[in-house]
Amino acid sequence: MASRTRRRSRRKGALAFDNLVRILYLALFLAFLLGPLYWTVITSIKPVDDYMTIPPVWFPEHPTLVHYTAAMFTYRGLAGLTNSAVVAAAATVLSVILGTLMGYSFARFNTGGQHLSFWVLSQRFLPPVAVVLPVFLLYRNLGLNDTRFGLILIYTVASLPLSAWMMFAYFRQMPAELEEAALVDGHSRWGALWRVALPLALPGIIAAAVFAFIFCWTEFFFALILTSRSAFTLPTVFRGFLGFQASSYGEASALAIVSLVPSILLGMLVQRHLVRGLTLGAVRG
Amino acid sequence: MAQQAATEGRQVRRPRARVRSWSAWSDRHFKWLLVTPAVILILALTVYPLVYSVWVAFVNFDFQIPGHDFVGLRNFEHVVEDPIAVLSLLTTALLSVSSVALEFLLGLGLAMAMTKTFAGRGGIMLVLIIPLFVSPVVVGQIWSLILQKPYGPFDYLVGALFGPTEVSWLTGNPWKFISLIAADVWQWTPFMFVILLAGLTSISPELYEAAELDGVSRRQIFWNITLPQIAPLILIAVTFRLLDAVKLFDIIFIMTGGGPGTSTYTTSFYLYQTGFQNFHLGQATAGSWLFLILTAVLIMFLVRRMLRPEPA
Repeated sequence: MASRTRRRSRRKGALAFDNLVRILYLALFLAFLLGPLYWTVITSIKPVDDYMTIPPVWFPEHPTLVHYTAAMFTYRGLAGLTNSAVVAAAATVLSVILGTLMGYSFARFNTGGQHLSFWVLSQRFLPPVAVVLPVFLLYRNLGLNDTRFGLILIYTVASLPLSAWMMFAYFRQMPAELEEAALVDGHSRWGALWRVALPLALPGIIAAAVFAFIFCWTEFFFALILTSRSAFTLPTVFRGFLGFQASSYGEASALAIVSLVPSILLGMLVQRHLVRGLTLGAVRG
Repeated sequence: MAQQAATEGRQVRRPRARVRSWSAWSDRHFKWLLVTPAVILILALTVYPLVYSVWVAFVNFDFQIPGHDFVGLRNFEHVVEDPIAVLSLLTTALLSVSSVALEFLLGLGLAMAMTKTFAGRGGIMLVLIIPLFVSPVVVGQIWSLILQKPYGPFDYLVGALFGPTEVSWLTGNPWKFISLIAADVWQWTPFMFVILLAGLTSISPELYEAAELDGVSRRQIFWNITLPQIAPLILIAVTFRLLDAVKLFDIIFIMTGGGPGTSTYTTSFYLYQTGFQNFHLGQATAGSWLFLILTAVLIMFLVRRMLRPEPA
């Protein structure tokens, strides 16, 4: 009896210790995570005099928005922003349409067996550097280098494994009975897909679209090589800050904030689908 | 008159019949029609370029030397004999393995800390996933600002705590590698965390209750229940991260530019420099084929094992 209470109290002590460790660990990690973000926000609103001081200014007395206008206009951030928005939106629409059709076919008809679906999946892991050079040469012949259309095409392909596999997973867990009923009612297969399956899959389609959009919004490598003066996207604008950093901390930070806010907000909207999105539907989460 | 009516009827019927037969045809080939556009696009923009690049790898393809003469294996020899290429491969292995290992440990810790519900958990969850939606270029930019000398906050904090240092965080040895790993860990630990958390929360609490009743120690519970239960998810998370980590490019480009010299070249960065800065396209293509084969082995090994389709 006595030993049991002792053991229980020892367990209680261990639990309290556990909680302490847990809180401490979370607090440290959150500091590691939020510290850099805080610094970026602060740097983006610091007057120039404040960012070349030791010790650093942890909060500016006279916050300013000049770096935002400079980043947008002097560094052509606005043009990059527009290109990013157009390219990401168009590529997302294309990728989700093609991916949804493909995912539906995989889920309902096992089209091409495992080989086709794995082949599509393996595209996700292909190193972009292996593909980009011939694409660059191909685009040069077709006049697609430094055009939004060229970038839209390559982003559509690059995000296809994601949208196809996310939709594959979504349709797989959706019962097929309603579509079968529609077929019995005299609908064609297209009708069953269009009128029955797609409306039901809408939440999954939206989630896939958000992930595809975030991919296109944050992508750097293809944009670096396939665009230059006119179709450049937001991430490539950061090239302008290489080398002469000291004079442009504020602009670089402002641009970082402009780039990360939309995708973070979008990402939080689909938090529920996060695990599926990150693993292309391999984990349900 | 009757004949006229008959031909009219046929004229009316014929287009309708054509429509019906088309829709019957499209219904019959429905499943293939659905995948065709996507497959065509992949063929055009990944398979065709890859096949074309086989040719590029075996000819002289250099913006500085005209002509496309067949050169046999010379492009490949150039890569294999290039000490920078070999070193970049080692750097890639070092950086990707150590970041993924750290991300796994830190992410597992986070997932264990977040398994039980507590007040504020939802809010912390939202904060923890932030880095996943940030462009790697932006991550590199942010960390450059943090680590730069002499005005960066990190250098100041280290100086205030341990006395002034002579270390350059982005160029010194081994700090430049640690800095790159820190940026990668900042961005991708949440990835491990999210997936491992999904695993931990799906373990049936009865398993733990039974173990506790039997008086199993906490360490044994971790090794004998928790880890085996989430093993498949660990495999998935590590595979995804590893296959992405070996492509490391963006933060190198922004934080170190591959330097000082060529000391922080990763393979992707080396191939980019060779092809697009020095215009040795043949050599770069040969190199990317070698790299592709190396990663393909990794893909075959890890992905096939990991993604067995779930039962419908």
